[in-house]
Amino acid sequence: MESSKNAESGSCASPRTARISVIKEQAIKTVFFCTAFLAVIVVTFILLFLLRDGYPIFQQVGIIPFLLGSSWAPTAVEPLFGIFPLIVGTLLVTFGAMVFAVPLSIGCAIYISELASPRIKSILKPAIELLAGIPSVVYGFFGLIVLTNFIRVTFDLPTGETWLAASVLLGIMALPTIISVSEDAISAVPREYKEGSLAIGATRWQTISRVIVPAALSGIAAAIILGIGRAVGETMAVMMVAGNSAIIPDPIWNILSPLRTLTGTLGIEMGEVAVGSEHYSALFGVAVVLLVITLIINLSAVAILRYLHEGRTSRPGRKPVIPSYLRESFIRFLEIGILALFIVFLLAATPWYLAALILLTFGAWYFGRHHLSQHQIEIIASGFIITATVIVLAILVIILQDIVINGLPALSWEFLTEPPKDLGRSGGIYPAIIGTLTLVAGAIALALPLGVGAAIYLVEYTREGRVTRIIRTGVDLLNGTPSIVFGLFGFAFIVLFLNTGVSMLAGQITLALMVLPTVIRTTEESLKSISPSLREGSLALGATKWQTISRVVLPPAVPGIVTGAILSIGRAAGETAPIMFTAVVFSSRFLPDSVFDPVMALPYHLFILATNVPGSSANKYGTALVLLLMVVGFYSIAIYVRSHFQNKARG
Amino acid sequence: MSESTIISTQNLNLWYNEKHALQSVSMRIPQNKVTALIGPSGCGKSTLLRCFNRLNDLIDHVKITGEITFDNENIHAPGTDVVYLRKKVGMVFQKPNPFPKSIYENIAYGPRVHGVRDKGELDRIVEQSLRHAAIWDEVKDRLNDSALGLSGGQQQRLCIARTLAVEPEVILMDEPCSALDPIATAKIENLIEMLKEEYTVIIVTHNMQQAARVSDYTGFMYLGKLIECGRTSDIFEHPKEELTENYITGRFG
Repeated sequence: MESSKNAESGSCASPRTARISVIKEQAIKTVFFCTAFLAVIVVTFILLFLLRDGYPIFQQVGIIPFLLGSSWAPTAVEPLFGIFPLIVGTLLVTFGAMVFAVPLSIGCAIYISELASPRIKSILKPAIELLAGIPSVVYGFFGLIVLTNFIRVTFDLPTGETWLAASVLLGIMALPTIISVSEDAISAVPREYKEGSLAIGATRWQTISRVIVPAALSGIAAAIILGIGRAVGETMAVMMVAGNSAIIPDPIWNILSPLRTLTGTLGIEMGEVAVGSEHYSALFGVAVVLLVITLIINLSAVAILRYLHEGRTSRPGRKPVIPSYLRESFIRFLEIGILALFIVFLLAATPWYLAALILLTFGAWYFGRHHLSQHQIEIIASGFIITATVIVLAILVIILQDIVINGLPALSWEFLTEPPKDLGRSGGIYPAIIGTLTLVAGAIALALPLGVGAAIYLVEYTREGRVTRIIRTGVDLLNGTPSIVFGLFGFAFIVLFLNTGVSMLAGQITLALMVLPTVIRTTEESLKSISPSLREGSLALGATKWQTISRVVLPPAVPGIVTGAILSIGRAAGETAPIMFTAVVFSSRFLPDSVFDPVMALPYHLFILATNVPGSSANKYGTALVLLLMVVGFYSIAIYVRSHFQNKARG
Repeated sequence: MSESTIISTQNLNLWYNEKHALQSVSMRIPQNKVTALIGPSGCGKSTLLRCFNRLNDLIDHVKITGEITFDNENIHAPGTDVVYLRKKVGMVFQKPNPFPKSIYENIAYGPRVHGVRDKGELDRIVEQSLRHAAIWDEVKDRLNDSALGLSGGQQQRLCIARTLAVEPEVILMDEPCSALDPIATAKIENLIEMLKEEYTVIIVTHNMQQAARVSDYTGFMYLGKLIECGRTSDIFEHPKEELTENYITGRFG
């Protein structure tokens, strides 16, 4: 087949075959364009359907009372739809999560990129990826069982389900995002800067703090914003530990008060609401608000990263945005502001002796630092950085060991192969395992061709221009959309509008849409890493565009694409929010007969066991362990594939 | 060599993983002179240069044996302060590498990390260093502009000024002109001529004319070995080794 084609083009094809091949090339290009444009269409549809179903509430209550109303009581006799406490709850939880996560993440990122030896690095990076791979419902489960209990005992409270618990848990979940993106930014600082600084006789810490981190600052900022986006959009974990009272903490810094977020409201109430009611509409209104908040956050991160990229490649001579003399006073002003906030927070939220101790330490540092030698400062700084890294690792170890130790006894052949009995307290989880696998298989079967096609179009067929910008923005928006919003969209569009009912198919489509951006991104990356000279070499031999792509560009890109696909599978397997209203039932003794039947799924099963079925302790941990192993298994395969082919490419 | 020696190596060997990149190099660098290291690509001249300020420490899997002394002290001795060594032995890189800061901040960076906090003192050091590096007149009106906006030749002189600002004794230059055009190269070469009154300069170059023009002493390296070392005029006019003669007459390399 191949040789005959080559022979044809070698002997100067006749006009007829030439025309056919032109048509074929055009057709291929059109197909790829359609797949790429799908992302934009999906985003538009999501927005349209959320707005369509949310519109009545804006009309009835009015936008301002809806946003600023101080009371959320949708099921009262005289229902009140004010989401202000929910917005405040979301902001407070996110703020707390960042206070917890940012220092740890940046310390850990600095350690990985600047201090760690290659061997330690090769252990740490997979560990961070593992942290990223733990499904949010497992985090929620851990938070519900261990973290809230710890807080309840420590602070002597009636319940540990508080703002503090939610913030710590969300902070943990945001760690991997912030660490890996800022680590990339720090590692991307040109080596010459580092050498230049060391060659002058700066110490390692001076080089890090005055040259490397400032040069990576925009990347770190983007990392933090992405972490914020992750925290704002998270549903399952936060809903399991936040206590969910729709109140504003009193006083506002009372971190031991329960609160409720936008996502949590959707997760709790969406399952029980009557379709078409005022309450239903109000929930879609909440989803619109949530979507707008996350879109703003994520787009600003993308804009920062893009600006950074352009600044590095095309405009070396630009002046600093703020002139240096103004900048110094600006930074001083900012520092004082943050310090003041910090002090207020400390005094209010912690016992006075702790606050005094922390303040004294800071004071001693601030006034004493000029008397320390560079060597001492270096030791203190590395101490902090290493402590941060150790804490991150300790968190990972605590979570894993809790689930593994308590989960292992539940694992047995019967547990894996029998249907649940007595509401999941005994029996096994066989239908849930099969359900999750089929959901994921269907999702990836849908997302892979579409995502790869879109990536090929973006990388191979177009120059950067307006069309690619629109498509890329669509992909970015899709990527930043909270998973619960996908769940709502799947419910409104697929389950109701397309009338599939709560079914496996609806879940598969919803999950496919959710992982689509991941597939597109990773495929794009691996296509871009193929050297242009390969393409030119092939084209120079008279190969057509499609021949070049299919025989020269795609084969070396396959490992990257496979990695992306497996990562997506892992992510889809662990997600709860998107399938909660579209595909799953809690208990089903039988496997589904067709894609139009509802299924059981591991994450949802775990969620229900953890929150609604008391006395199922062993099976809870067993389910968590199986889910964890499944997801981590997928991630390990992806990491293995990637490093295997990287080593191969290096020779 | 009758002049006093500032840096010397004894039987220096260096391995990158399995690769034996420097083989028993023994040489002496005379004070307040310009010493050039020449040789074909990959012969180890840059590696040798980076031994003098221990910048090879940054690379994983490097093994060094033998002795390097600076001011008669072994720089690999256990108690050596690498930071102090690098302050005294400055370096200018092949590609100009100004930090992404303003021109002023680039120069002030060095003195600041060494503890100078007084604004007036910093201003004085910045001006003096920039004058010394013959770039003051070109940048004095835009000290707060980003250093990345300067031309390649200006950036390189800025990097030299940055090195001078910490008052080194030795300046290592790793092919400082290879990324520059002939006019910028001429300016750097003039600058080197001026610098040797106060500093010792060691320059790696693959341009033999440049070595002949700017240096007092020349070392010729080949495949990790120091083949010959002596007065530049001797090396270029009466080389003792055949290999050296072949290289400088252009028969290989």
